[in-house]
Amino acid sequence: MITLTINEKEVTLDKPVSVLEAARQAGIKIPTLCYHEALKPFGGCRLCVVEVERMPKLQTACTLMSADGMIVKTESEVISRVRRGILEFLLINHPLDCPYCDKAGECELQDLVNKYGPTVGRYKEEKRKVPESHKDHIFARNMERCVVCTRCVRMCNDVQGASAISMMGRGNHTRMEPFSADSFNCEYCGNCLTVCPVGAILSRLYIHSFRPWQVDSEVKTICSYCGVGCSLVAQVRDDSIKRVIPEMGLGVNKGLLCSRGRFGYEFINSRERLKTPLIRKKGRLEESTWSEALNLVAEKLSEIKKTEGGSAIAGIASPRCSNEDNYIFQKFMRMACGSNNIDSVSRTGFAAAQKYFEELMGQGITANIIEGLKNSEVIFVVGGDPTSVNPILGLSIREASRRGAKIVVLGNAKGLERFKNVQVIPPVFKEADALEELLAGVSGARGVRGEKPDIDRGISALSGKYSGKSDIGGLEELKNALLDSPSTAIVFGMDLVQRADGHRAIFAVAGLTYLLEARLYLLSEKPNEQGLIDAGCVPDMLPGARPLNIHDFKTKFETAWGGAIPDKNGMTLLEIIEGAKNRDIKALYIMGENPVFNLPDGPFVKEALGSLDFLVVQDIFTTETAEFADVVLPALGWSEKAGTYTNLERRIQLQKKAVNALSGMEDWKIITEVSCKMGYKMAYSEAEDIMDEIAEVSPLYRDLSYREIGKGNCLWPYHGEPLRGEIHELPAMAESSSGNYGADFYLALEKPLFHSGTLSRRSPALMKICPEPTLKISSAAAEKLRLQEGDRVQVSTSVGSVEVAVSIDESIKDNKVLLSNNFEGKGVFSLLTYKLDPVTKAPGIEGCEVRIEKL
Amino acid sequence: MFNETVLKEIEEIKAKYPERRSALLPSLYIAQREFGWLSHEAMECVSKALNVPEAMVRGTASFYSMYKHKPVGRHVIQLCTNISCMILGAEKLVDFIGTRYEVQPGGTSPDNRFSLVIMECIGACGTAPAMLVNTDFHENLSEKRIEEILDKYK
Ligand code: SF4
Ligand code: SF4
Ligand code: SF4
Ligand code: FES
Ligand code: FES
Repeated sequence: MITLTINEKEVTLDKPVSVLEAARQAGIKIPTLCYHEALKPFGGCRLCVVEVERMPKLQTACTLMSADGMIVKTESEVISRVRRGILEFLLINHPLDCPYCDKAGECELQDLVNKYGPTVGRYKEEKRKVPESHKDHIFARNMERCVVCTRCVRMCNDVQGASAISMMGRGNHTRMEPFSADSFNCEYCGNCLTVCPVGAILSRLYIHSFRPWQVDSEVKTICSYCGVGCSLVAQVRDDSIKRVIPEMGLGVNKGLLCSRGRFGYEFINSRERLKTPLIRKKGRLEESTWSEALNLVAEKLSEIKKTEGGSAIAGIASPRCSNEDNYIFQKFMRMACGSNNIDSVSRTGFAAAQKYFEELMGQGITANIIEGLKNSEVIFVVGGDPTSVNPILGLSIREASRRGAKIVVLGNAKGLERFKNVQVIPPVFKEADALEELLAGVSGARGVRGEKPDIDRGISALSGKYSGKSDIGGLEELKNALLDSPSTAIVFGMDLVQRADGHRAIFAVAGLTYLLEARLYLLSEKPNEQGLIDAGCVPDMLPGARPLNIHDFKTKFETAWGGAIPDKNGMTLLEIIEGAKNRDIKALYIMGENPVFNLPDGPFVKEALGSLDFLVVQDIFTTETAEFADVVLPALGWSEKAGTYTNLERRIQLQKKAVNALSGMEDWKIITEVSCKMGYKMAYSEAEDIMDEIAEVSPLYRDLSYREIGKGNCLWPYHGEPLRGEIHELPAMAESSSGNYGADFYLALEKPLFHSGTLSRRSPALMKICPEPTLKISSAAAEKLRLQEGDRVQVSTSVGSVEVAVSIDESIKDNKVLLSNNFEGKGVFSLLTYKLDPVTKAPGIEGCEVRIEKL
Repeated sequence: MFNETVLKEIEEIKAKYPERRSALLPSLYIAQREFGWLSHEAMECVSKALNVPEAMVRGTASFYSMYKHKPVGRHVIQLCTNISCMILGAEKLVDFIGTRYEVQPGGTSPDNRFSLVIMECIGACGTAPAMLVNTDFHENLSEKRIEEILDKYK
């Protein structure tokens, strides 16, 4: 215990902190400029000087640790004079263009000078001149305003880990600059912008468009892009979002954001937003009224249900929609349409993996707190780059690395290049083998654990298979790193789920989790992939992940919902698509999803959707999929409605309404209206009512209410009870793939940091940061193909070809070439085919042998 | 990119320090030797060879005024104009070099033969005025001496 006296007030601390923090705890404010709560103290600006008894000179409070018995004074005549002097020095070069500067009103320098003076400067000479740089699409950089506090650089180096900027020059000429001097070749997280105390770094998204004090309302909500679910504040004026800022200390992200969350919000204002319902008439989609459209949908679905039976109807739910939307969607499909054919595009990754992991290891195995990553000794990253799929989770891995954790990577992870200690890149299609071999090695050293007989048996079966010497380089080192670790986290991306033998990779990772007693994290690309499952938008489980085929669960829901739920498990996503093609499925209802673009073998998907008798698409844009619809219904997007989302840690959070939409209706509302017309009554006046119902029927969300969620920290299972791990027989595993994989190059899916499909394509800022797709190739491939950065190439597979520019990526070390699936007409999925994984039913990517020709 | 020999040289420097960042300054000298000055490309090579972020390389390089931050001629004249040298006529010598060799302070002659850098005291006050040409030291300068000396640098 430390007790010190600050301004005659006794302050007792439970743990040693700086004098500055001790003062803040006691409610005493010491002025600062280079200090920032998210950064390590720096002691550069000297504004925080204080007098400490028995210390000869003034001390900087931000760097001075409190000690027992210290007597500190934070204000005095001398201190004021010193502060005034420091500010006068800073103003020598500061342009004092407050009337024109966007920071005015929230500028720390302005506030300090206002409080401590000086009112007039004595310096008469020229100020330094550094022209404002407008060359970057996102950041406006005005280095005349820079006070050289280095907060931005420390943020970029020590927290973001991008190290894209630096203090350049020295003395009077010191300024912050990125390497290229003009535009930022960085991760565009904008976290430097958050910490800049003055108007030296500003966002061009809102520059010169409003004053900080002209904000009508501030809405604390969450990001709509990925499964981390970062907290952010939307600042609204005249019913439109002016900017999105983080709030220090708030939420999972604690004041940090990534490029998508910070700059990607403008899609809601896109001109491509759907305005009215559309109905196909004589082959063309034409505007209609809500009542006409809703009547038509209800009529058609009822008719098909009557003539063909409920099982001829299917629904695709959306990991972008809220828990309430998805809950209503599955209830509608089951009760009004009489069908369990409910799935989502999450089947291509998260939903498939999450379910199988839970089957193997018990419910809740993936519910781990992101923050906990920071305290792991070893983090094993496999199947994707966390820093681009879930950027804020990626930052925790970088932080762990800075704290001395070992980062071991299987596969490519560009954003961890400077942080990884061991990397193993198995040959294409041999990833599951590599993981199995690793598991066999670990169990060889550790022995079986004996708690889960089926898993133990599965692991033992592998030992024989991999007894010889490994031919995958580095695997031994990776294994030893895992074996040496007292505390391991495994971060599993979805790349390996998209293999026909993806279940083998999942089993191997489950086995490692089990033997190493590791914490498992699944990367989740969309904001509500977990919530979607928990809401029951899967063909074989009811809300709360209660298996449909357990009679008691089913009858419980039937009583609550007042009707019969069909007995048989429904079809999974690609079975639905194939069913449409075979005419087993006659009608399809798609909510907030774009399968034509987001699934492999686009031509096949198009053909399947074309074979339907009736297709309803509910979305905020006219997507590639909507082009095939018979009825298109405009929904509401992020910030236009309220709803809860469950992130990848299974934290339940509230997304709030911030603005009024010009058109559209909540997804759940549209569906309840159709449902009522079909004779199954559903009536809720607000999303909150739906949550109340979920809390009653779903065993995982018991007692949950918007009030509780609003308080934060609603973690699964909220007052509810999870299912106890029930392991059933392990399904038969696929053989190691034995195909001939001798192609020169393999095409793989790139998950870019700046994009995430349909939404980001309509976000002007993200489109400026990354305007077009590029084929990422290794420098070896560039040499072999005689290609240079920016050369245009034709990329062809057996099913299609696109023309793109190449970009050389040093982080690629094998014979993969990467293309994203984010740009219209140039998505990688249009070039690939698939084969279903028999266990998880995820599409295994096939046909990725690729030809690259220079144009 | 650096060739194999240079990369080896940098590897050896790296091996001396527990932190690869510590090898920055000597590696920058090597890059300067290879490229003539610290161009963007030169700094990129250092960044790659050391696996230190590019911005950090440039930030460090830009702090030190004795690195060459722009292309220079075949020979670099560093002439002192601080107090002792100034009293003994260094400023006139600047003018002389300017007319005779067509090179202004901070610039390079059109034939790319000389670059002229004005220096702070180089510790030769007792034998002022003084200058360095590349790494050779010359003192007690006069217009005539300068001509004699510089004629040897082609
Ligand atoms: S936006 Fe992010 S990555 Fe770019 S310079 Fe700022 S902190 Fe660094
Ligand atoms: S740009 Fe802003 S944050 Fe960065 S050093 Fe200058 S004043 Fe500080
Ligand atoms: S990490 Fe995910 S949730 Fe957070 S700001 Fe980025 S996209 Fe949004
Ligand atoms: S805040 Fe303490 S020195 Fe800047
Ligand atoms: S003043 Fe010129 S060498 Fe010292």
